[in-house]
Amino acid sequence: MAKLVKTEAVVEGRTEERWTLVEEDATPEWAPDASPAVIGEPATRLTASARLTGTARYTSDIRLPGQLEAAVLRSPHAHARLTSISLDAARGLPGVRAVIGPGDCPDFDGDTVLHEEPPYAGAAVAAVAAESAEAARAALIALDPVWEPLGFITDLEQALESQVFQDDPSDYERGDAEAALGSSDVVLESEYVAPAQLHNSMEPHCAVADWRPDGVTLYSSTQAIYQARSQISAAFGIDSDRVRVICHYMGGGFGSKFGCGHEGILATELSRRAGRPVRLVLSRREENLTTGFRTPARVSFKIGASSDGRLQAVEASAVMGLGTGGWGYPVLEPVKSLYACDNLHLMTLPMRQNLGPAAAFRAPGVMEGTFAFEQALDELAAQVGVDPIELRRRNHADADPGTGRPYTSKRLLESYDLAAELAGWDGRDALRGEGRIRRGMGCASQYWWGGGGPPAYAEVRVGAAAKPVLTVGLQDLGTGVITACAVVVAERLGVRPDDVTVRAGDTDLAGHGPFSGGSMTLASIAPAVRSAGHHVRTQLLELAADMFEISADDLELVDGEVRSADGTLRHPLLEVTEKLGNAWVRGSGSRAPNPDGLAVNTFGCQIAQVAVDTVTGLVTVERIVAVHDVGRIVNPMGARSQVIGGILQGVGFALSEERVVDPTTGTVVNAGLEDYKIPTIADLPEVVCEFVGMPDPKLALGVKGLGEPPVIPTAGAIGNAVAHALGVRLREAPYTPRRVLEALG
Amino acid sequence: MQVALEVNGTPHEVDVQAGEPLSTVLRDRLELTGTKVSCGEGTCGSCTVVVDGRPVLSCLTLAAACEGASVRTVEWDGELLARLRDAFTAEDGFQCGFCTPGQLMSALALLERSPSPSRDEIVAAMSGNLCRCGAYEGIALAVGRAAGESD
Repeated sequence: MAKLVKTEAVVEGRTEERWTLVEEDATPEWAPDASPAVIGEPATRLTASARLTGTARYTSDIRLPGQLEAAVLRSPHAHARLTSISLDAARGLPGVRAVIGPGDCPDFDGDTVLHEEPPYAGAAVAAVAAESAEAARAALIALDPVWEPLGFITDLEQALESQVFQDDPSDYERGDAEAALGSSDVVLESEYVAPAQLHNSMEPHCAVADWRPDGVTLYSSTQAIYQARSQISAAFGIDSDRVRVICHYMGGGFGSKFGCGHEGILATELSRRAGRPVRLVLSRREENLTTGFRTPARVSFKIGASSDGRLQAVEASAVMGLGTGGWGYPVLEPVKSLYACDNLHLMTLPMRQNLGPAAAFRAPGVMEGTFAFEQALDELAAQVGVDPIELRRRNHADADPGTGRPYTSKRLLESYDLAAELAGWDGRDALRGEGRIRRGMGCASQYWWGGGGPPAYAEVRVGAAAKPVLTVGLQDLGTGVITACAVVVAERLGVRPDDVTVRAGDTDLAGHGPFSGGSMTLASIAPAVRSAGHHVRTQLLELAADMFEISADDLELVDGEVRSADGTLRHPLLEVTEKLGNAWVRGSGSRAPNPDGLAVNTFGCQIAQVAVDTVTGLVTVERIVAVHDVGRIVNPMGARSQVIGGILQGVGFALSEERVVDPTTGTVVNAGLEDYKIPTIADLPEVVCEFVGMPDPKLALGVKGLGEPPVIPTAGAIGNAVAHALGVRLREAPYTPRRVLEALG
Repeated sequence: MQVALEVNGTPHEVDVQAGEPLSTVLRDRLELTGTKVSCGEGTCGSCTVVVDGRPVLSCLTLAAACEGASVRTVEWDGELLARLRDAFTAEDGFQCGFCTPGQLMSALALLERSPSPSRDEIVAAMSGNLCRCGAYEGIALAVGRAAGESD
């Protein structure tokens, strides 16, 4: 029976309390030492055929009858006032079907979509829909805007001086940091600067809106179909049940695509006015000016420790550049929660700048903070003469340092052991060399949430073909969550994962599901999927029991067969299901809350090995050993791919990725992929990937999240490795050849 | 202007505009949306197709210059591409799949000119195809696997 319960969920560091509808989950947990069939075995992606033959329809591939193409006029100035615009001139051009300017478009979650006083270069001012992309672009020229440039601030230090905050500053105190610093044996002061990293999902932000008298359908490249539905519903005053959001295939998001985005609001408004479907696909440059970035941050530490390296106190501040959006991402969370330290004073200052809005980017805040703090810890280790991994062990937290709550499980110490062994940590000093090429090895720890939670719902049905169909209310960015869900169903019903059909990415389907973010998706949905599968399993076994005149308790589903426990009875499941005709056996499941009073976290350790050319300044990441504790691994093939992908984004952050803003104009000078450099196949290091997380005994199915963890420690480990190689520490990433050579003097 | 070209073995006559890129002809006129446009300015490789045996960036290739050309896209049903698809599946050489059509086309052109490429050749041939999900390890292994299976 369904009931409403109040539950607590941690979403990227923000704790939310919410009511949620849950059904009883009667699925028995496996014994701790059991290895359920299919789960934990490598499974290839369910979406492989569609994605590899070109039949997968992404949002930018949608073409509806009568569809118009949209384009957006954007401010070229870092801050300006629009003094005139010729909307009517654009309306008079051939093929133009709708033109909107400031005041013509509903707000998006309280934000202006079309600006009269655009606050950054790239901010939208007007939009058009026309019969072709060329006609839309011609209409933009006809708009003939006149600007009055205004003063602007893009530089982070200037933003700090201005004291204009984009989000509330945070001030966290634990114990008495000032007093404890005064009595510490050792005090270390250090500062790190993290770059603005641009998401650059390969599929740009895009939307196709189809406004009809009875409701609207929005095809959206989104990480959250239900959030997109709520936003369209609120912006246009339509009941959410009359808004349908579809995202069948998605080309990456990495945090930048929550909800419908401005593009969804604009496409919907244009479709409403034109009475035709409208497609809006952002260009790569619009993407890099307007859709978000990992917040640049200057992080300063004053660390007090005992002479044997135990943390006594940390004072830290993080000045973050949020541009015109986003929120105060938890940059200092690693200081607060990764190690045992009784005395803290932590301040974050999320500044406003005349730049596009920040957006969550895979482990927002925590990745940047880990980059800084894990390097400061290495400096401390050097100062007190303790091995860096040993220093981390000495500061291990046995319970959540902020709340005192015990962890559901924690295997960070095992992560250190295994990573050190795999990397050859003990021999690291012998690597260094004295010639032109210097080598080094560095480590960093990883802390994140990832326990998932309700609400998440799933439906499973099995028809005559004995092939399960799973319906889940979520979307797959490309992480492989759909395949992982199929693995979970396959286990309950004794079939192979590729026997399972998964229907997802459509709010008109049954089952509200989680957004794709915060490393929460699989941990949220998998227990619901298993519960739904279990209900179907129970019914199928009862049908088989009646047919074969045996107790259902003595039957199991294995390899597409109904078998008795003693092996004497063995029939294809098809023999049972073919009696169903066109009927289905159905089951639904929902996600129950996590246990109260416990901290649910993921942990890990990465060790980087780098080679630095002291003549050219080029840093090469040769090897990353990644050991993570993320609970039960559902699909080791997909898990390894997630880890490598996260590591590569960390390599980019450390070595080559940095949004550059021209201080004289306040505009981004590298918004294209020829000069904003994301890693290529030639930058791929050798990756050694292991998981120490056994199934978490306190969580349904034992699963925790994996999306964020691998990106978190990579850049810090690389920073420590570069410092180990050179004997000089770089304060600012990315470690471009110029910065390396400057550091070497 | 009228342009006659062959796409995946099928002859087409298309009426194109002077500045129209091949990617638009494929995606909008021929409804072969497997070819993806990610940057639209020749910097990411997503739109790679094979024209007369060579990998080209279809977003920068003028359709008008493709008179008489033989174009192959991710929708092609050739045996070598099928083998590459199987190898990309087996090695998990993609995640979101948006760059994948371009990856497959670069790999196809590579294996046609160099059936047994070294790892360095693979890396060189594939380095113009960006993948933000970071599936590069699987991509490199998949290209090698497809090549190995051709023996």
